[in-house]
Parts: sequence; C-alpha cells; structure tokens
Amino acid sequence: MSNPNKPHVTVMRSQLSRARGLGSGQTGVAHWWAERASAVALVPLSGWFVIQVFRLAGASQPEVAKWGARPLNTTLMLSLVILTFYHTQLGLQVIIDDYVHGKAHLPAGLLMKGIVFLLGLFGTVSVLKLALAGSSRGRIAAG
Amino acid sequence: MVEFRLPKNSTVGKGRIFTAPTGATNVKNFRIYRWSPDDDKNPVVDTYEIDLDKIGPMVLDALIHIKNDVDSTLTFRRSCREGICGSCAMNIAGENTLACLKPIRDIQGDVAIYPLPHMPVIKDLVPDLDGAYAQLRSIEPWLKSDTLPPPDAERRQSIEERAELDGMWECILCFCCSTSCPSYWWNGDRYLGPATLLAAYRWIADSRDEHAGDRLDALEDPLKLYACRTIMNCTQTCPKGLNPARAIGRIKELQLERKA
Repeated sequence: MSNPNKPHVTVMRSQLSRARGLGSGQTGVAHWWAERASAVALVPLSGWFVIQVFRLAGASQPEVAKWGARPLNTTLMLSLVILTFYHTQLGLQVIIDDYVHGKAHLPAGLLMKGIVFLLGLFGTVSVLKLALAGSSRGRIAAG
Repeated sequence: MVEFRLPKNSTVGKGRIFTAPTGATNVKNFRIYRWSPDDDKNPVVDTYEIDLDKIGPMVLDALIHIKNDVDSTLTFRRSCREGICGSCAMNIAGENTLACLKPIRDIQGDVAIYPLPHMPVIKDLVPDLDGAYAQLRSIEPWLKSDTLPPPDAERRQSIEERAELDGMWECILCFCCSTSCPSYWWNGDRYLGPATLLAAYRWIADSRDEHAGDRLDALEDPLKLYACRTIMNCTQTCPKGLNPARAIGRIKELQLERKA
C-alpha cells in the first residue's frame, strides 16, 4: 500500500473462517414452513371473518354475543386470532433478523415476541369471554 | 447491518469532466465512480464525453477506450470481453451486469457506472470479492463421493441426470446476483448469497455427488440459506440469464422434504 497510514486490510482474520462463521444453526426450515402454512390457513379464515363482519353489521350487542357463543364461530375466531398473531411474530422475526444486528438482536426479538404474545392472548381471552358469557342464558341482557 | 445513509467518507462528490474532442458528433456521457485508496479523498463521479463513432458497441469498449486514450488512471477488471470470465461485472445504469455484454445503445441518456453494490471498493470499479469467494469455498463446490470411480472410466451420468445441471454449470461467478440482493447487503456476513447457493445446489443436484445430506445440513441456517426472501433481484440481473432464485427454492424444498 502506498499510504501506510491507511491500511487497506482491516480484517486480518481468515476469510474462510468468517464465511464459515459458527457453522449452521440447524434451524430455519421449520420457521420458513410455518410462515407459509399459517399464511395459507389465514386466507380462508380471514375471508370467513370479513363475511361475518358484514353479516353482523348493524346487529345489536346481544345478537353479536349470541353469534360469538356458537361453538363453530368460537372455534374459527380462536383459530383466526391465534394464527394471526403466530404468523405476525414469525414475520416480524424475519424483519428483525434483516435489520437489527449485534447485541440488540436478541432483546429486540424477545420484546417483539412478548408484545405479540400479549396481544394474541388478549384477543384469545376476548373471544373466550364472548363465548362463555353468551353461553349463560339471561345474563346477556344485563350486560 | 442495514445502512440507509452512506458513511461520511463514502459520500460521492462531483468529479472532473473530460470533454469530447472537437468534431465529435455522436457523443454520449459516461459518468463513472472514482475512488483511490492512495489519498484521503471521498469518491467522486467523473464524466467522460465519448464519441461513440470511435468505439465498439459495448460498455466495456467505452471503458477500454477511456483507459487507452482519455484517462489511464481509470481502474477496472476485464479479461475475456465475451461474457465468460466474469471479471467486468459492475453496476451499469443501475443494474449489475457485465460491461462486455451490455450494449451502449440499450442505455437511455448518460451511462452511469459504479462498482458492484455494497462490497468494499479496492479502487474505482474494482470491488473486493474475497469474502464472496470464501463463502463459495465454504460450501465445498467440488464432487464429494465415497465410491471410487471405475479404474478405467469416468463417472457416468444419464442424459437426464446431466440435464439436471443445466442452468447451473453456466454460472461464471461474476457475483452480479449476490451484490444485487438486499438480503446480501444487510446480512452478507452470514447469508451466502444467490451465487454461492446456486453453486451449492449444483452439487446437491449432481447425480455423482454422494454428500447431498451433508450439504443440506451445512445450509440449514436462518441466515445462510433462509435470509433469502425471494426478492428475485438475482434472477432479474443475471447477465447469463440463469435463475439462482429457482435453485434456492429447490434447496428449501429439499430441506422440507427430508423432514417429512
């Protein structure tokens, strides 16, 4: 190098060592597949949900509660909520892998998963509350 | 690491203008990235006004003309000038390609030429590809077989088995694809990139190779393989018309297949 004050080589470590890194993590295919499978499952579930929202437009609170208490509706609603948030954390993890590096990577992923878990749990509890409250007759009117 | 702004010492300044000789009628501007490790200056973009009547049809012809007749300090790699060595890979008019295969007439307006994106620059249009070569080396791109070949013959393949390798053996390792890939820009230290993954699948798909399982083991990693987000820039940009995205997709399919 003609300018000794500006060394061109900044990494002395073997390039092959860098390329091999810590080896393969032996994971990845499960995450990749779960992303795709949950996305496909969400297509009919979301379609069903949109149709139900239109059908229930303008309905009274007791009518909606009655709708939510039907086992089929509860099952599909729970599937929708759980799969939505499961898919969300899979997708956000990919974004974190892409854009957050170094020491921030692990805490960012944990924080994201914690928030998504709580949101998903909140949705699940809400669906269950609707389902269980609707099942006890007579109390709807009071609510 | 994702970087939305260039570091201070990488911001590109205005460069010199080399005007066309008087009497030139068919002039096109070539705006070329210049940086030298020998001084502390930032990179600049020099403008060369070139008379197209004096040179051949390809961008590489213009570069060779500049180096021979206009500015001998311009530095770039070239060798075969017919799209088989992969040396003159660079970013031309916003697309990674080989200067020797890119006709000047295909480019509207000025011709902007930069080194392959997001690689360290050694000088001008010469990128440092050592890391990419080491990644290629890391997937062991050679035949691995425990069965000895017949003592008096080659290892044989059927026509169909050989056809499996079409679209992969043609890769000339110019790294246009890897350096066009945002996943490789952000995670190039761990993501292997399309060129290396194409080479990996070339050996997984080879009927004579007996280490497909080991090769798949080595690739099953959230970043080495799965940092591919099917952006498809690799296939879009390949100057040889190959499809690295398909090869990566096949590796992912095989990873899934062996789990079932």
